Amino acid sequence: MKKLLKLLSPFAPDQSGAVGVLYELGGLVVICDAGGCAGNICGFDEPRWFFKKSAVFSAGLRDMDAILGRDDMLIAKTAKAVGQTDVKFTAVVGTPVPAVIATDYRALKRMAENKTHLPSVCIDCTGTRLYDDGEERAYLELFKTFASEKYETVKGKTGIIGCTPLATGYMTPGIFEKSFGENAVCFAMGSGLDEIQKASRCDKNIVISTGGIKAGEYLKQQFGIEYTTDFPVTPAMEKVLENDLSDKKILVVHQQFAANKMRELIKNKYECSVDVGTFFKLFGEFAGKGDFFIPDEQQLLEKVSAGGYDVVIIDNICHRALKDCECRLIDFPHFAVSGRLDENGGQVCLA
Amino acid sequence: MNNAFFITASELAQAGFENIPDELQSAKHLIYSSPATLAFNSPGAQGFGVKRAGLAIPGSVMLLVSPGCCGRNTTLQSRLCGYQDRFFYLLLDDTDIVTGRHLTKIPEAVREVYEFCDKKPSAVMICITCVDALLGTDMERVSRKCEELAGVPVVPCYMYALTREKKLPPMAAVRKAVYSLLKPRKRASADMNILGFFSPLNDDSEIYELLKGAGIKNIREISRCETFEEYEKMSQANFNLVLNSEARYAAQQMEETLGIPYIEMMRMYHIDKIHNQYMSLANAIGAKFDDTVYYNGTKKEIEKFKKKYGGINFAIGEFLNADSLELAWALLSYGFGVSEIYATVGERNFVFVKAIAKLSPQTKIFSNLSPTMLDYEPSGKKIDICIGNDAGYYHADVPAVDWNEERQPFGYSGVRLLFKKLDEALKGAGK
Repeated sequence: MKKLLKLLSPFAPDQSGAVGVLYELGGLVVICDAGGCAGNICGFDEPRWFFKKSAVFSAGLRDMDAILGRDDMLIAKTAKAVGQTDVKFTAVVGTPVPAVIATDYRALKRMAENKTHLPSVCIDCTGTRLYDDGEERAYLELFKTFASEKYETVKGKTGIIGCTPLATGYMTPGIFEKSFGENAVCFAMGSGLDEIQKASRCDKNIVISTGGIKAGEYLKQQFGIEYTTDFPVTPAMEKVLENDLSDKKILVVHQQFAANKMRELIKNKYECSVDVGTFFKLFGEFAGKGDFFIPDEQQLLEKVSAGGYDVVIIDNICHRALKDCECRLIDFPHFAVSGRLDENGGQVCLA
Repeated sequence: MNNAFFITASELAQAGFENIPDELQSAKHLIYSSPATLAFNSPGAQGFGVKRAGLAIPGSVMLLVSPGCCGRNTTLQSRLCGYQDRFFYLLLDDTDIVTGRHLTKIPEAVREVYEFCDKKPSAVMICITCVDALLGTDMERVSRKCEELAGVPVVPCYMYALTREKKLPPMAAVRKAVYSLLKPRKRASADMNILGFFSPLNDDSEIYELLKGAGIKNIREISRCETFEEYEKMSQANFNLVLNSEARYAAQQMEETLGIPYIEMMRMYHIDKIHNQYMSLANAIGAKFDDTVYYNGTKKEIEKFKKKYGGINFAIGEFLNADSLELAWALLSYGFGVSEIYATVGERNFVFVKAIAKLSPQTKIFSNLSPTMLDYEPSGKKIDICIGNDAGYYHADVPAVDWNEERQPFGYSGVRLLFKKLDEALKGAGK
């Protein structure tokens, strides 16, 4: 049956992706839920929660709040929290509850701005979509709201879009400097709202995960900043390269741009053929001929079996689903899949 | 930067239960799920949330029917707690939610799960979440359809975070669910059940000895049932002993459907109260308990600890095998200091606020869930030791005892174990 998971567990949802983008920007983030979603996001999908404080709160909705649509109460609670914390903007992130009751986010945004006198963003998440969808919406909303002004371009300044723990692992500025030069600024990780506001100073952008493409397009249209896609070389990738992959037919499964980079590195080192598969967004213009989208675990099995792959490079939580396939499985951690950043199962920095 | 909100025990006692400040009432502010609170402030976070608790029936598996987000943390739970083969997921999309079409897929999904399992499950627990709470799904009806199609008992579990402050909150509802497969049997006069927890009491708890001394031969706890057959024998109990108020509704259901009456006790750390409760229990079951040895032994341990460390000062958290306020009151009455408590104050435990106020009026009471806790900084009287990993989070450089092990402490043995752990923590800190 489609959408029945017997061997895998659910991947990071859109609301986690949205919070991951907003996390370091100094806003007051309200997860519009009853408590469980915030618990999952903070306790599982956000590794920074344990070492970097952020004003991420649950709306603490109760059944009558949802049934009666008490948005005014939510805004009153938000305004009260604004008075108790030092924040630059407010953000409301959706979950299944507002999705079911069809919350009017535009109204919420206006109400929040009127009450708090701070800018507000609302990210329409539903909990049914995947993390890169939430990241995409959050990046776009942030740039649309805050990057309205054109600043003078700084030559050589490179904007990195798409770095979040879920998409790329937690990365320090060092890894970007190594891969993209000293003038690289990573939006929303290791930099604040100020860099988002001055995004037009970049003379190029590099999008490193699929959730950043729409924002890249927006900045291109708005300020004429060209973008390319890439991904920094991580220790996890270097570890994969230690395997002898000569003459193999290989499938790499990850978010598209990490998988593309992995393919590039493998092909630079070994004579082999490599396809990319992804559970997440697959953009045709960045895909190879044999690349494909994997909608569920059943399709993963079918695609791997039908593809005749010798090696599948995939987060090891998926190895269970592929145990009967006659191919070699190599671990390639993806936090959005397993909630694991390193090969030991610990939530540590990739960089 | 603002300071974290607190109120002293004296101020709170004077204000009265009707005037608890908004900052101490989670319904009146946004909720801060700090690392200190994650373990208990989410229906599916850590320990025994609804999902894990729902698997308390031996040999059961769970089908979580929800948007993907609700099952996300289960990835970790499966890996760490060995539940990998017991969780299955039917993911809902936007169309399912709008049309409710997922309800027609559930019976087929249950059948597929049943057929997939090498070892056939004794029951399939169907866990549904906020979405179905709002849709008003009749999961009892869907479960009956599932049973017809798959030929296996199917039990609904409601992980409705939206109803946390209702009469039947999720953790009470799941306790009802896990006993719902029991069928009436002839009652055995020497059998009884302990209800309340999803893991057993510590083996050395004197409650077993006291009950056995009163003629009880079989004491059953769901977590000690290794097979479904053993679980089924719980329906022959002469009475249920409820040790956690969240199991009260389950006990009431068992009284109604199986005719098993129940007695309720509370886990306490004040040894005089423990004694009183045991005497009341003995009265209720028409027996006599002699707890002198346990009482005296525990009192001696407390005195020994106090002699060794003096009247040290505690911070007490909320994620622990205790009621924070009762534990604080007990420690104060033993002559220790408690300068900070992170707790949820309610009608049930307000009596301990008053008791604390008499012994230590300046004790500060914080709410873990208040957004102001984002700015919490230790201040005031130096804390010597913390109990609860939430308290330990706030005082990272102070020795701490988590006191949230899965095996449940109870009675005098629980008090002795706590002081043993405190001693270990302080010794470890080089005191």
